[in-house]
Amino acid sequence: MLSFIGRSFIQKIITIIFVSVISFLIIHLAPGEPSQVDPLNPKFTPEVVERFRKEFHLDEPLYKQYLFFYQDLFTGKTVSWKDNQSVLKKIWERFLNSLPLFILGTILTWTLSFPVGIRSAIFRGGLYDRSATFFSYLLISIPGFFFAYILIILVVTRFHVPVLGMETFGISDASWPSVAMDRIWHLLIPSVLGATAGIAVLSRYVRSQMLEVEGQDYVRTAKAKGLPPDTVHYKHALRNALIPFVTMFGLILPGLIGGSVIIESIFSWPGIGRMAYEAILARDYPVILTVNFVSAVLVLVGTFISDILYMVVDPRIRI
Amino acid sequence: MTIRRILIFAPLLIIIILLQSYFWVPTYEQQTRGNPNRLDDYIFASGGDASILNPVLSADVPSSRVENLVFDSLIDLDAELRYRGRLATGWQIYEEAYFYVNPSARIPGLDVTVPQAIVDLILDAKQDSRKTDRELQDSLDNIKNILVQPPRNFSEIREVKLEKTTEEKRVIKFEVTAPARIKMVLNRVDQELFTNLGRLLGHDYFSSFHGEYYVSSDVPLGNQRLRAQAQEILPATEHNPVIEFHLRPGVKFHDGHIFDAYDVRFTYQALMNPKNLSPRIADFEPVKSVAVIDPLTVRIVYKRLYSPALGTWSMGILPEHLLNSQALVKEAIRFNKDPGTFTMRDSRLIRNPTGCGPFVFRQWKSDQHIILDRFDDYWEGPPNYKRYIYRIIPDILTQEMEFYAGTIDSYGNPLGGIPPHQVQRLKNDPRYQNFSGTSLSYTYIGYNMRRKPFDDRRVRRALGMAIDVDKIIKYVLYNQGERTTGPFAKQTDFYNHRIKALTYDPQRALKLLKEVGWKRNSAGWLEKDGKKFQFTLITNSGNDIRKAILAIAQDAWKQIGIDVRTDLLEWSVFIQERVDKADFDVLILGWTTPINPDPYQVWHSSQTHPYQLNFVGFQNKQADELIIKIRQEYDHGKQVEYCQRFHELIAREQPYTFLYVPKWTAILDKRIVIKEQGADGKVRYKKIEPTKTGDYTFHFNKWIKLPDEPLFLNEG
Repeated sequence: MLSFIGRSFIQKIITIIFVSVISFLIIHLAPGEPSQVDPLNPKFTPEVVERFRKEFHLDEPLYKQYLFFYQDLFTGKTVSWKDNQSVLKKIWERFLNSLPLFILGTILTWTLSFPVGIRSAIFRGGLYDRSATFFSYLLISIPGFFFAYILIILVVTRFHVPVLGMETFGISDASWPSVAMDRIWHLLIPSVLGATAGIAVLSRYVRSQMLEVEGQDYVRTAKAKGLPPDTVHYKHALRNALIPFVTMFGLILPGLIGGSVIIESIFSWPGIGRMAYEAILARDYPVILTVNFVSAVLVLVGTFISDILYMVVDPRIRI
Repeated sequence: MTIRRILIFAPLLIIIILLQSYFWVPTYEQQTRGNPNRLDDYIFASGGDASILNPVLSADVPSSRVENLVFDSLIDLDAELRYRGRLATGWQIYEEAYFYVNPSARIPGLDVTVPQAIVDLILDAKQDSRKTDRELQDSLDNIKNILVQPPRNFSEIREVKLEKTTEEKRVIKFEVTAPARIKMVLNRVDQELFTNLGRLLGHDYFSSFHGEYYVSSDVPLGNQRLRAQAQEILPATEHNPVIEFHLRPGVKFHDGHIFDAYDVRFTYQALMNPKNLSPRIADFEPVKSVAVIDPLTVRIVYKRLYSPALGTWSMGILPEHLLNSQALVKEAIRFNKDPGTFTMRDSRLIRNPTGCGPFVFRQWKSDQHIILDRFDDYWEGPPNYKRYIYRIIPDILTQEMEFYAGTIDSYGNPLGGIPPHQVQRLKNDPRYQNFSGTSLSYTYIGYNMRRKPFDDRRVRRALGMAIDVDKIIKYVLYNQGERTTGPFAKQTDFYNHRIKALTYDPQRALKLLKEVGWKRNSAGWLEKDGKKFQFTLITNSGNDIRKAILAIAQDAWKQIGIDVRTDLLEWSVFIQERVDKADFDVLILGWTTPINPDPYQVWHSSQTHPYQLNFVGFQNKQADELIIKIRQEYDHGKQVEYCQRFHELIAREQPYTFLYVPKWTAILDKRIVIKEQGADGKVRYKKIEPTKTGDYTFHFNKWIKLPDEPLFLNEG
């Protein structure tokens, strides 16, 4: 076990170095310049452009820029080119904003997918199963932004309440329970939207996992023993069907920093996805690269956790 | 079975908790009509967040919008687009001109070259009432003062590039023994002064002055290089325009500190400080010195004639006492930072600005909102609104929803109007008042004149005539555009309205092309010397209107037998690989048009190299002359004349096919009106009227929102 952890740790370090080099190259070799260095602005003389490039180290060879960037990152000195604020601080603020969306979205996805998927599997081929399948595919194929607009228009015109932003604008003077509830309301629609595709996909997985397990001999045996159907389904079948899902917990970790560009933009949510997207448009390299680096680390940590979890839940797995 | 129950009840419980939160949320009704304070707030929605709230450090649109409310400038544009004083009550523009006495030149009618003799000659000519030469006389009359500056010796250290191939520069010391110089103070700036004086002193008096005779370097430089350096150290003639601002007394910053001339000088110094990386530095590069004459007078001397100079002072003025080096050191120590590397860019004040504008900064939540409160001590009287809230809503559709709900006060603005297809419907909506105007930008088709056959203006004209621009405006822009014929803003006097736009006439286009030698072959394609007329038309992707024009132009040109291919490129590839390197045949692009004309970068023949903005390669001697004159002319009337002539020339040459200027439309709640307190203390309400140039926010500080829609008598 320990040797596995050690080996995997070294592997991940090597991977992260490769990721940092490749992502750095991709971002720097892509065409375009930081929006501060605007070549199409008549007010920008070549000297000014040169000065900006120098300040941002863009005139140095790439390997030096790479070293400069990671040196700054690890000493916590990286600042955004857009507003001169510390990148780590910016990311932390946005992370806290995106976190509730992520948590609620995950809770909704995981709590709703199981009952839906299990029932589909148990009553396979019935009306319920077929309509669940139909709605799953509908939700998977409907574009997120379109669904978001429909929901917003519906809520705003029918219920006359605001849905934009993290809270109703100007509510901060109200009593704390209403502020808290207001925040929950503002979380609801974006996280439902974020969860729909997840529910649709995950419930399909649950269904197929359950079907696979239900076909196993031990389940048939349990049925033959005359156990009540609920015990067969929820004790014998479900527990074994759960194993692959446990490992998926590790893999949702990178979602923490991903955020959703479309949902955050439509709902004016000051989240991390929107910040990263705007940074890409403005070629704010420090922000893009830091977000990239942090998410690479999270992906690796996530896979590591899922490896460990797999070993814990399934004693058959030995390394 | 408990597991089953948990699986069913857990999600149900979560959903119930989530849904009940609906009952706690204030409805739109409660937020707007139910909230009396709402009438005192103006809420503006912007797509993007500000970056840095400091006019010296940022120049992006969202930041500038907030800066304009928090900071005040020396001058700004009035309703007629003329400059008016804000922090400045008035200003004078005059000139100090210099030339070196040239001992090697012979002056007609003068035997000695003593400097005083030249001064006397000029003074005599000035007195001379036999007005033989009108222009010379004008220049002479304009001289207020003339005196001799004695010869002087000095040394100067400069960085010089020694090899053409390398970028390396060497520091070289120059010893200068400058001859006597004559200084003239002029009543007004006169760019023709030396041309006219040449008629008196001899035509080559100034051009035959050899600076290199008076300059020596510690490292031997070639003759040519020394001459080039000497021309910079000892220019034969020099124009030094001067602007003297008289400042408004008793103006307060938001912290109560009194504004004075030192703040103006500080703002300039902060701008020029290389550590601050100001994006506006090019505007102020021509400044030679900024001097405080007394706390309410500041004098700015320029190195050369630069007519856009006055306009550059419509930038916000920074508070010196909060941002000067002592204040920065103090701040650095307080926050445990290294005072040596701490600059204005690191200061807290870039996110908590203090200025002397009509609104005081209160709060900024990144990507959510910026809140400003009104400044009760504003020198012009406080605004009517108590608060200005700048909300960041990136999505245009949700902006629209919020506007209908009443939680933002305007939809669309001059920099980003409402989508063209909505204009007709919203203009007819009785609940809203609407304003429209033409944008400060235009869209064009540009031809690469380095390539054949676009080097012939008849070809460019024919290509322009083959496109039905009116139809583009009607169908692509839903009529939200106007034709344009030249590079100046349509709202200004510089735009020459006598010039007619090209008429759509494919038959005449064909005739013109025939003149050049392009004839239709049997297959219907235009051909010359056995070669088909063929080229590629490109533009950037992500702009649906340009994409539509691309297809329309391709089709229109195909109709007259031209084989056009099209290509859409991602913006940065388009700019870096095609525009910057001038590697294109024909492209569709747009320019913004400043109020102050300065066509130099886009049209001067010296700007045709890679990475410069005259990427179509337009070269025209006459145009070059006019461009320089426009840049150097301080008299509005003369500048208008030069610009109109330049516009005419552009229309004749057709380097671009000028397509259209977009129109913007903005809508506001009808309850927003102008509230004025007359001299008799009576309050009067007026409808918001846009200025002649379409700017409806001009009187923003007098706006207020009423509880109910007002009825104005003159409306019937």
